[in-house]
Amino acid sequence: MQALASRVHPRTSVLRLTACVAVIGVETFACSQWVAVNPTTVGFLYLVSILLIATSWGLVEALTASVLATLCFNYFFFPPIGAFRIEDPLNWVALIAFLITSVAASQLSDRARRRTREVLNRQLEMERLYAVGRAILLADLQRPLGQQIVREIARIYDLQFVGLYDRASDAIHQAGPEEVPNLTTRLRDAAVSGTLFHDEEARLVVTPVSFGAQPVGSLALKGLFLSDAALQALSSLVSLGLEKARAQEAAIRVNAARQSEEFKATLMDAVAHEFKTPLTSLRAAISAILSSSVSEPQQQQEMLQIISEATERLSALVSEAIRLARAEADGLRLKKQPFPISTAIDVVLRQMEPVLEGRNVRMDVAADLPPVLIDVELIQLVLRHLIDNAAKYSPPKSPISISARVEGNYVVVGIRNEGEGISEWERSRIFEKFYRGAGARERAPGTGMGLAITRDIVLAHGGQIRVESVPDEGAEFFFSVPLAMVGTRA
Amino acid sequence: MSKGRILVVDDDPQIRRVMRVALVAQGFEVRDTRSAEQAFELLEHEKFDLVLLDINLPGMGGLEVCRNVRATSDAAIIMLTVRDTEKDKVEALDSGADDFVTKPFSTPELLARIRAALRRVPLPAEGGPHLIRLEEVDIDLVQRHIVVRGKTVRLTPKEFDLLHYLVTHPNAPLTHLRLLQAVWGPDYGNEVEYLRTFINQLRKKIEKNPAKPKYILTEPWVGYRFELP
Repeated sequence: MQALASRVHPRTSVLRLTACVAVIGVETFACSQWVAVNPTTVGFLYLVSILLIATSWGLVEALTASVLATLCFNYFFFPPIGAFRIEDPLNWVALIAFLITSVAASQLSDRARRRTREVLNRQLEMERLYAVGRAILLADLQRPLGQQIVREIARIYDLQFVGLYDRASDAIHQAGPEEVPNLTTRLRDAAVSGTLFHDEEARLVVTPVSFGAQPVGSLALKGLFLSDAALQALSSLVSLGLEKARAQEAAIRVNAARQSEEFKATLMDAVAHEFKTPLTSLRAAISAILSSSVSEPQQQQEMLQIISEATERLSALVSEAIRLARAEADGLRLKKQPFPISTAIDVVLRQMEPVLEGRNVRMDVAADLPPVLIDVELIQLVLRHLIDNAAKYSPPKSPISISARVEGNYVVVGIRNEGEGISEWERSRIFEKFYRGAGARERAPGTGMGLAITRDIVLAHGGQIRVESVPDEGAEFFFSVPLAMVGTRA
Repeated sequence: MSKGRILVVDDDPQIRRVMRVALVAQGFEVRDTRSAEQAFELLEHEKFDLVLLDINLPGMGGLEVCRNVRATSDAAIIMLTVRDTEKDKVEALDSGADDFVTKPFSTPELLARIRAALRRVPLPAEGGPHLIRLEEVDIDLVQRHIVVRGKTVRLTPKEFDLLHYLVTHPNAPLTHLRLLQAVWGPDYGNEVEYLRTFINQLRKKIEKNPAKPKYILTEPWVGYRFELP
């Protein structure tokens, strides 16, 4: 396969040949009609033109010019002038020497020209391969790598179309302004059969991509013919990129599994702790009555009252645990989908109407916020926790403010109350397991399963959670969730 | 008449309420508080016979509180906890607690533990000596205090009871069961880790070299023996 630059359009060839004829014609006319010069000078003039043609255009043009110049030399400058005959045998020698010299010079300069072009092509190929390699190495691991690879190849080689088929995930990534029909079939065929597909007319190449002897996918390029070596090197780079993507996915999976284990452990600890407290009240109160440790009717009444309250508390805990268990059912493998955060907030606020008891909720959420990529159930759980906390730890009639805004690739949600606030010492521990604010149980013997779980959910989304507070003015919890990516096409 | 003054330290208001009702019904005088700081304040101004202490207190943890209380007060301490592993028990006893109750507990169980923690080993009926002089240690069984190599040493009530029982039954192997029932009460018998912890504390306080004890000897697989020359 030749590099694109050495291929010439047929119309250009015709134009060039015409130009060759014209150059020789003009020289012949000038030397025979206008200025009187001897045949040696004419011969040198022809040779210079032929060398120039060979250097800039190629062998075919130079040979055409050589033959034409030989004929003109004979006809116009060797006696008898005006005929294709030569009387002096010495002139035969001169004419043949001219022909041999011009043909040889054409070949030499054409070869030099090709070499130069080859070197330039190689250099360009190397530069482009280096750029692709660099792009793959420096790829953003947070975003799909296959998509980044095709986008970079299309940009670096200035291609009309680049398609990449990843056999392991059966995914096709594409970039570039043009479309290629039957692409999926061609890419799959190339990956399965391991053979190169080459459509010269459409200027399309589909090459298999192998890692070692293992075919891992295929690559389609439209708008450029690369040398075999360059194509091979490019496909090797792409296979390295795909392997890197695979390793990255495996790492993410391992990480997710670990997070899921930690999440389960946190949940179990929180459940044990939260459940044992009302159970302790229940067991102590019931056994006191059964064993007649309390006998006064008034004391028994108080114990029964405690039993009733502890039962309600347990019931609320069970409901919360069931909700969590459902959300946690398949570990922290999130079922993410693009979803408007404002809808999630509205749904949670509707669910929490009884808890909020007609409290003033100030919303500062722009209507045109782009959707976020979240597990809706779990993020609603986070919202419920934070709004529930905001309500619990502030005076009954005080307002709660909810805000959401875009920051970089994230939407940051803030939930603020006007309670006592949280001291700096508490802020540093508030997301720890088991920790509950000083005096929290005094006012709010609620169902809080702990901010630790809330934090785990936010972290699993790749977001962050934090709290800001000014004592006596209130506290504001912020958490961030990623914006949904826009499409998969570059 | 009050059977004793009890301080309840737990951060859950419901648990405090249920304990208060049950203990008051049994004739105890009860104060309760939700935090370590308030507990220290109360202990400073009032005298208590027993402290019921939750191990999971916000802020300063229960074990830390227990060590602080033990440093300043003779009150018996019972720790309340949600976990009952060997490690948790030993930690609680090491920090100075006399006993250990796992949540959720029943009221009769808690009351039995409180009674055990408050009971003192009675003095021998008649005629026994009230002052025991060893080579390096003087033990006053009436004043309940000891002097080791010229210095007064503080013992917790249970430590003193254990030492009392050992010195009044010298030169004979005393089984774990016998010691536990004599010092803690008839409901005890399996809590060997209690004995181990208290014997270690006693050795540290009266032996010159606790690693090679002179008085309190271990009877392997059986129990302990108090060696009187």
